[in-house]
Amino acid sequence: MAIHAVHVPESAEAAVALAGRGAWVMGGGTVVMPLVTSGAATATELVSLSKAGLSGIEVRDGTVRIGAAATLTAVGEHPRLAFLRPALRTIASPTIRNQATLGGNLFVAQPYGDLAVCLLALGATCEIAGPGGRRDAPVAEVLASGVTGGEVVVAVLAPLPEPGTWYYRKAMRRRLNSASIVTVASVTRTAGGVVTSSGIALGGVAPRPVRAVSAERLLLGRPLTPEVLTEAGEAARADTAPADDAYASAWYRTRVLPVHLRRAFLG
Amino acid sequence: MPSQIVSLVVNGEPREFIAAPGMTLLAGLRESLGLTAAKRGCGQGTCGSCTVLVEGQARAACLVAVETVAGLSVSTLEGVATGGELDAVQSSFVDNFATQCGFCTAGMIMVTEALLDRDPDPSEEDVAEAISGNVCRCTGYQPIVIAILDAARRRREERASR
Repeated sequence: MAIHAVHVPESAEAAVALAGRGAWVMGGGTVVMPLVTSGAATATELVSLSKAGLSGIEVRDGTVRIGAAATLTAVGEHPRLAFLRPALRTIASPTIRNQATLGGNLFVAQPYGDLAVCLLALGATCEIAGPGGRRDAPVAEVLASGVTGGEVVVAVLAPLPEPGTWYYRKAMRRRLNSASIVTVASVTRTAGGVVTSSGIALGGVAPRPVRAVSAERLLLGRPLTPEVLTEAGEAARADTAPADDAYASAWYRTRVLPVHLRRAFLG
Repeated sequence: MPSQIVSLVVNGEPREFIAAPGMTLLAGLRESLGLTAAKRGCGQGTCGSCTVLVEGQARAACLVAVETVAGLSVSTLEGVATGGELDAVQSSFVDNFATQCGFCTAGMIMVTEALLDRDPDPSEEDVAEAISGNVCRCTGYQPIVIAILDAARRRREERASR
């Protein structure tokens, strides 16, 4: 379909009004523009968030609020978000990260989305603006079912992990610019040598990033030893629905999941 | 909405052209302004052959709707040489045989310009990361990595002797 208009509104309210008319919301354009250029876009209007004042990143009381239009480059450069750099560094190339946005990353219907995996592990919340006002929704809900027509994710709020509680591991074909075979991200707290709370998210092993609730449950009250983590990784298979793709087979992903879950914690 | 006039600052010069809605920056540069150094490879942001700088940052021009960069500054390979003289990156690519068919070269040079503006002394790993979104099907990349490291050295020497 031919595009009739590309709007570049200067406020979130104006963006919501345009989204309400059926315009596709565009972050950096890395996903939308190829569809536009090839004629595969099913919308006739686009609304870019690039000038809508949604690019800010602020930290207050241990929580970061990242505007939906913040680029992956900007997220990685923020001094308080250094823990996300290993994840960001392998997402596409620096050129694409200069353009791709946090908000857009949540709406790419693919198994990988390493930043979304991190946000899921952090238990992040999406701030959504719509015709009926603002609402909050867990990032898990937005990943699973999106938002309703006319709504726009304007920001993501995430609690910053306490020192020593963040774990991340990605298995891939190449060290850079490579989609995930298995991605593991976790915020896990321990006290007295045993796990007191754990949030684990997985990428590459289901149509969208998923929480490994079976592994989280299994870790509670137990030490982070190779045996316990292997058991947790085997349990996590119940939370996955892997597929074959150009990078690995579903069989391979299932096979190596416990290995990479263990390595996320123990290296 | 009909076509509209888009204004950009291209290689330091104010330029205007008529753009249909959703036109890419790449199409604007190539078809409207006749600046054909940036190439259309994949059209999906995967190959890097269309890389240009927007406000000094490397961007895949095929993924940019011109409406979103109206009024901003765009640099292309055409603006890199000053007074007919190749810059340090260009001459290093020539001297190190870092170009064969040439299709990726404009993109490779533009990501290098952005890299060296940010980091005058990159490691080999930094170079690999900078060009990780630029596909070359001729060289096997090694001459390009060598040329970029050499260009960094040449630039530092130029700065030091100034």
